[in-house]
Amino acid sequence: MKHILVIDDASTVRLYHRNILEKAGYSIDEAINGIEALEKALVKSYDLYIVDVNMPKLDGYGFLKEFRRLEDVVQAPAIMVTTEAGANDRTLGYAAGANLYMTKPTKPNELLSYVRLLLGEVAE
Amino acid sequence: MSSIIISESDFLKFKEYFYRKTGMLFEDSKRYFVDKRLIERIEATESDNFRSYFNTLRFEASGDELQQLVNAMTVNETYFFREEYQFKCLVNSMLDEITRHKKDNSPIRIWSVPSASGEEPYSIAIYLLEHWAGIDKWDIEIVSSDIDTKIVAQAKRGHYSTRSVQNLPKPILAKYFIPQAGGYQICEDLRQAVEFSRVNIMEPLDVRNFRDIDVIFCRNLLIYFDNASRRQAAEMFFDSMKAGGFVCLGHSESMSRISSLFRVRKFPDAIVYQKPLEAL
Amino acid sequence: MAFIKKQTSQVINEDERKIPRDFDGLCLELNHEDSKVRRWAVRDLAQLPNASSILVTRLEHEENASVRTAILNALAKLGDTIAMNGLVKCLRSEDAALRNEAIEILKELPYEVAPIIEGLLIDADSDVRIFAVNILESLRHQHVEQWLIQVIEKDPHVNVCSTALDLLSEVGTELAVPAIKQLKARFPDEPYICFSAELALQRIEDGSR
Repeated sequence: MKHILVIDDASTVRLYHRNILEKAGYSIDEAINGIEALEKALVKSYDLYIVDVNMPKLDGYGFLKEFRRLEDVVQAPAIMVTTEAGANDRTLGYAAGANLYMTKPTKPNELLSYVRLLLGEVAE
Repeated sequence: MSSIIISESDFLKFKEYFYRKTGMLFEDSKRYFVDKRLIERIEATESDNFRSYFNTLRFEASGDELQQLVNAMTVNETYFFREEYQFKCLVNSMLDEITRHKKDNSPIRIWSVPSASGEEPYSIAIYLLEHWAGIDKWDIEIVSSDIDTKIVAQAKRGHYSTRSVQNLPKPILAKYFIPQAGGYQICEDLRQAVEFSRVNIMEPLDVRNFRDIDVIFCRNLLIYFDNASRRQAAEMFFDSMKAGGFVCLGHSESMSRISSLFRVRKFPDAIVYQKPLEAL
Repeated sequence: MAFIKKQTSQVINEDERKIPRDFDGLCLELNHEDSKVRRWAVRDLAQLPNASSILVTRLEHEENASVRTAILNALAKLGDTIAMNGLVKCLRSEDAALRNEAIEILKELPYEVAPIIEGLLIDADSDVRIFAVNILESLRHQHVEQWLIQVIEKDPHVNVCSTALDLLSEVGTELAVPAIKQLKARFPDEPYICFSAELALQRIEDGSR
């Protein structure tokens, strides 16, 4: 079973993503901001990260930058999910270490197809 | 017999709110534990039901009720070798890094706050003597402080109940404690190993005396503070520390609810927080 | 080698303070190359009146995270109009970390924020409107629910509405029910809105029993 960490400060968003992904057979953990996400990522190897940008204490960019530089973790793909949609924001996202970028509100099918793609579950 | 009921929906609302504020997450298995204490607080605040209590909680200016709630939901006993995994981390990992980066022979400074009745700083001293190879090579300064002068005086006296020492291996108890009426007295050498003082960490003038700290143990204190005070405390700690120094929080606490000034570090025994070595 | 004790009363070496800690001296230190010096200058300035303006100016150039945090905390402490405007300005920053830190702080200033929040809720920039709703999360004000209802009734932007809807899940009462149902009808093709609206309605219904 694949493990996904959903990182977002809004509990409803985390619940929404959890429901979609659990139904599709993934195991989900949650974090409320980048610091909590790092704490969890240091303890457990996730197969995928779903990362919001705007979070208190440590935002999505901050989390990814730190996560990508850690030596004692297993690197995994990350989907950045956020309200911003501009080209600049996407560039920042990729520069921080995101593999894909989605804008909110997400749609279940789109999210699932990106997740499967990054987890190597779909032949493209 | 209380007529107040906590519905599933109430529990979820409360669970999310409490998790957001404190980082403590209650699983469904903890329903009985949580419901009981929630009902106690609802009654204590003379609220009619969960909803009106929840409103009070969310919108109260002082944050007093949240503090009461945190008190009710956490187990507060202090005793020797409490949360021992952090002392293990100190001797197995943190001190190694600190000594590796040290540029001189200045003492290694460890700050334990709050001291409460002294179990924590004395535990640190014992652990270092028993488990740290470097104890013969480096000078260590253990400082410990609390806002309450009575408790500081009690810590200095070093007298403890049987309950307080019950986690200690028998050889340790025999080596460092003297049995006395009603409990145990910590030996004079250890009493002399810790410097106690009265400090309010919210008071800048009090904290300015603490400089070049290498490790801070601040366990189960900040969880009772409001957001602004937590941030301020974190800043105070940051300023009091050497670059590369470590902070240990209580096992159910996290910097994720406090401050982004520190880096998260994982060691085999514990997750701790580090003041960055390079300038932020 | 082992445990040592030093004197608890450590005299702050007067030599360390080469520049006087008055307003002018501190302003000079605000531009010092050492971030530690800048941070202390900010802390000391926070104790003085009229410091807001210089702190807001410094914030615009400050790149060190710990100094920025100190400035934001100082502005919160000062809480005057200039300080508040400085904090609100951060909401428009390109820097996500700065924005988010400012939001956190504004959440804790209900008295100072209340007079300006209504304006922010109808700001031309949808992101600022989202941040304004974020600030409502901890805002202790009797109109919070009413403001949220107005947002979901009138705001054209789906993410502004969804942020408001999330908060209504927690603080909403029966008063919010018609507006929530209306929002669902307004965004029929957004599964998230549907999900979030259902959740809010369920929570409100449960809460009123």
